[in-house]
Amino acid sequence: METVAPYKTTNKVRIVTAASLFDGHDAAINVMRRIIQATGCEVIHLGHNRSVADVVSCAIQEDVQSIAMTSYQGGHIEYLKYMYDLLHEQHAGHVKIFAGGGGTILPVEIEELQAHGIARVYSPDDGRHMGLQGMINDLVEQSDFVTPNIFAANLSTAVAERNPAAIAQAISAAERNDMASIDFVKGAKQSPVLGITGTGGAGKSSLTDELIRRFLADFPDKRLGVISVDPSKRKTGGALLGDRIRMNSVSSPRVYMRSIATREANVAINKHVGDVVKILSYAGFDLILVETAGIGQSDSQITEVADVSMYVMTPEYGAASQLEKIDMIDYADIVALNKFDKRGALDALRDVKKQMQRSRTAFNVSPDTMPVFGTIASQFNDPGTNTLYSEIITLLNDRCAVGWKSSYSISEEMSEKIYIIPPERTRYLAEIAEENERYDAYVESQSDIARKLWQVKSTVEMLKK
Amino acid sequence: MSAIKELENLEIDLQQQLSQEVKKLLESWEKKKASYKGEFYSYTVRGKEIKVENYVESLSHTKIPKILLPRFKDWGEIVKWSMQENVPGEFPYTAGVYPFKRMNEDPTRMFAGEGSPERTNKRFHYLSKGMPAARLSTAFDSVTLYGEDPDYRPDIYGKIGNSGVSIATLDDAKKLYSGFDLSSPTTSVSMTINGPAPMILAYYMNAAIDQECEKYIVANNLVEQTEKLIEELYRDSGMARPVYLDEDGSNALPEGNNGLGLLLLGVTGDQVLPQDVYNECKIKALSSVRGTVQADILKEDQAQNTCIFSTEFALRMMGDVQEYFIAEKVRNFYSVSISGYHIAEAGANPISQLAFTISNGFTYVEYYLSRGMKIDDFAPNLSFFFSNGVDPEYSVIGRVARRIWAKAIKLKYGGNERSQMLKYHIQTSGRSLHAQEIDFNDIRTTLQALYAIYDNCNSLHTNAYDEAITTPTEESVRRAIAIQLIINRELGLAKNENPLQGSFIIEELTDLVEEAVLTEFRRITERGGVLGAMENMYQRNKIQEESLYYEQLKHSGEYPIVGVNTFLSSKGSPTVIPQEVIRSTTEEKEQQIKNVRSFQERNREKIGAAITKLQDDSVHNRNIFASLMDAAKVSSLGQLTNALYEVGGQYRRNM
Repeated sequence: METVAPYKTTNKVRIVTAASLFDGHDAAINVMRRIIQATGCEVIHLGHNRSVADVVSCAIQEDVQSIAMTSYQGGHIEYLKYMYDLLHEQHAGHVKIFAGGGGTILPVEIEELQAHGIARVYSPDDGRHMGLQGMINDLVEQSDFVTPNIFAANLSTAVAERNPAAIAQAISAAERNDMASIDFVKGAKQSPVLGITGTGGAGKSSLTDELIRRFLADFPDKRLGVISVDPSKRKTGGALLGDRIRMNSVSSPRVYMRSIATREANVAINKHVGDVVKILSYAGFDLILVETAGIGQSDSQITEVADVSMYVMTPEYGAASQLEKIDMIDYADIVALNKFDKRGALDALRDVKKQMQRSRTAFNVSPDTMPVFGTIASQFNDPGTNTLYSEIITLLNDRCAVGWKSSYSISEEMSEKIYIIPPERTRYLAEIAEENERYDAYVESQSDIARKLWQVKSTVEMLKK
Repeated sequence: MSAIKELENLEIDLQQQLSQEVKKLLESWEKKKASYKGEFYSYTVRGKEIKVENYVESLSHTKIPKILLPRFKDWGEIVKWSMQENVPGEFPYTAGVYPFKRMNEDPTRMFAGEGSPERTNKRFHYLSKGMPAARLSTAFDSVTLYGEDPDYRPDIYGKIGNSGVSIATLDDAKKLYSGFDLSSPTTSVSMTINGPAPMILAYYMNAAIDQECEKYIVANNLVEQTEKLIEELYRDSGMARPVYLDEDGSNALPEGNNGLGLLLLGVTGDQVLPQDVYNECKIKALSSVRGTVQADILKEDQAQNTCIFSTEFALRMMGDVQEYFIAEKVRNFYSVSISGYHIAEAGANPISQLAFTISNGFTYVEYYLSRGMKIDDFAPNLSFFFSNGVDPEYSVIGRVARRIWAKAIKLKYGGNERSQMLKYHIQTSGRSLHAQEIDFNDIRTTLQALYAIYDNCNSLHTNAYDEAITTPTEESVRRAIAIQLIINRELGLAKNENPLQGSFIIEELTDLVEEAVLTEFRRITERGGVLGAMENMYQRNKIQEESLYYEQLKHSGEYPIVGVNTFLSSKGSPTVIPQEVIRSTTEEKEQQIKNVRSFQERNREKIGAAITKLQDDSVHNRNIFASLMDAAKVSSLGQLTNALYEVGGQYRRNM
């Protein structure tokens, strides 16, 4: 098959990718989203088992041009039509829907769906004729437009009313450097900002999700804005905006979340994050979370926008001297030592506290008082995360004088993990292999002895005859 | 003379080097051989003597032995064979876990599920017609698989009753299995469900208990009295009693359904019987039910994605179920079916399928041990499930699995014989079915079924040839069953029950695959064990790489597939597009929504306390399965799921 070159976009194209509700088949959409990224698009990937409401609200908040769905579990007619109708109902009819489902979507159904307004449903034959890149080129080309400004002069009012589509459009304007359109946010009183950064794989988005869950439960009338920044690829201009997939709490109507790409090399933060914070402040969100990817030295940029900043790491950083190289230990107000169930977690806690003490030259106080918290975000209702949450609220109260009364109380106890497999037992499979081989060696040697014995016995019998 | 003396000394020396067990093995070898040579073989199971004929006669009057032992004379060979192969039913169980195949029961177990519980019930009765044992295997629709209730919301509505049966309440479960005696030793029910497995299991157990209550009511002439009682209960509430309603809107039961299980529709046994009688029925049902619930959350996270709760909470509930099984003496029901099928379907090769699956199995063992359960209390409740494709390694998948398991359980965990026996279900590979030349699919399935039957699988599902393009029809399913029946009943060589033993290639493959699996065990260990490797998505990535490799070779034609990339017809063997696909009807969807809503309405006042108890047990780290059993009487599936989300956390997707 001849190779098709990727389509070159003229606008910044943003696309939501997901697999349908009650549908775990995510292999195809994962292949597709990688090609979409490589074609220069910013992809907000939601993963499998997504309801129409989830996808539509994400598409609106993220101000995307298109949605790319797969459905392999049936019910695609109802699902896709509902998605189309819901988008129109919520004034986002410009968002195009693309879909595929292999042989599970019949040719007559493709016709029916396209007649209803689904931009295109790709069939297995399309795949064969166009190739993967050919299909993606078709999809991206149809998505290469500037999303219409549906609010025009009413944008400021709509943002103030926290209309998610309006907030999304205002943020897109900022990203396009169209400052005139968002002039109204100037002078808005800034809401408290919590900055969260950390190394990849530290469990940052899980921990963020856990903090959001606690905040929503703790303050039933407060609203939360979330800005999540991921790096753009220099080579393609595309980006994988992957934080939403980990976030279960953002489906709350009290949360607005926006994923943004850095759109610049070697930075951890998009230069418009300040503007986005202003927009969300203007919209009246009580707390704004800014989460950025840790890419080394530039992590500390987060402190420029945040009132309180937190660094997320794991006990697996190597030797204690490695800690001296981490800029954020100097700048962060709080450090979360996540995956606290890993081996050596207690040593790591002590080392990070000591490093923080050195950095703050706080030698007159015990290192135990340093704000470093062991957390296990993957554990439900993890006590360490509870303590961390309380500390954050206290700090926000101190710094921003918001006067929030939290009902989460700090407990002195460390997060005690209920282990599935205790850390000292993780070698079980190697032990099984060793035991197995020991048995094989035993069988071999016994078999050899038995053979010799048989030979000797037979020989003796022959000699005796 | 001195040479003989020296040799005799050597003999004594060698004798001393031989272990007791090996000495015994050599001493009893001839006797063992003889036991398979007489007319009958006799052995004991749970204290009962069982006599089995040793031969089957062919049309030519040749006596075909069921079990053959090697003709070795060399003691070295005898020792090695006895310790690495052995006869079926003896350690290390390479050739099989039972001395002989079950008589009066083929391993056939066909997966079915479609539309309403009534429609699937009808299909179950159709499939088990004329079979000596009812071996049911339940496919649930995706709404159920994700633990939600049928609803008018369009993204849910379209999926109700498609590709599986819709089950949202205890009444649904009662209808689904009605007419099958769930406490009978000849009924065995498998349920393919994972995320909400504990809830569906609770429905199933309650359905079985209420059947037992119904049998008590009938036996004691209490039917009329009970009916009156139920009527009163309903008169007070002013609601209509639920009924069995087939797709034509009639209450008629399908052929084969005697109505058992329907008397207590809309109520539970404890509402109509004294507590002590109910408890007795409960004990009887729990100790008799036979079957399997898939409930394998590790492979879900690695391959199939029907996870709904946080993995940790899901694992904890699996442990709770197993503990409950031990406490309530649920001995004949497998609490988990540790599955490689979905790992293979996602693209893993047979070695990875086996390695990941067995490593998952040992992870459950380690977890249950860490909770204080005893190996011999839970290991017999574990079962396995593999896919069989056409790769050479599939010819030995059962042999290797049984051998690795038996060695580990005996040598590392000190488990008894019952614990050492790995029992598994095979489904022929769905991935090996193609949408081109679909008639050829039955040929592939036949070969895979032959692998499975020669390898002494304990249970077998053969796919229908049209599954690559649509939901199988009665006709295509009948052909799929015929594949098994022809092998089991017609194929002469299959009358022998250890046909693979003694083959050079089989022995070589067994050793190679075993070694490859152990190597994989070490790789997983380097990544912190199964859970550590999962955190870095090791298994998932490996499965994807292997899938890609297959696709590349298939695409290039290097891996030949007849009628797909080679031996194409004059028309080019085009993809077959089905004219129509069997989908659930509007009536069925509406009926399911209506039923779940009236169930919720009926139990509106009872659910609160039940859910509070359930959540309270969970928050305080107590075993939740007993309170889940109670809550399942008055709560719909979606209600239970959402209540548990609040105390256990939702699944967090990965990328």
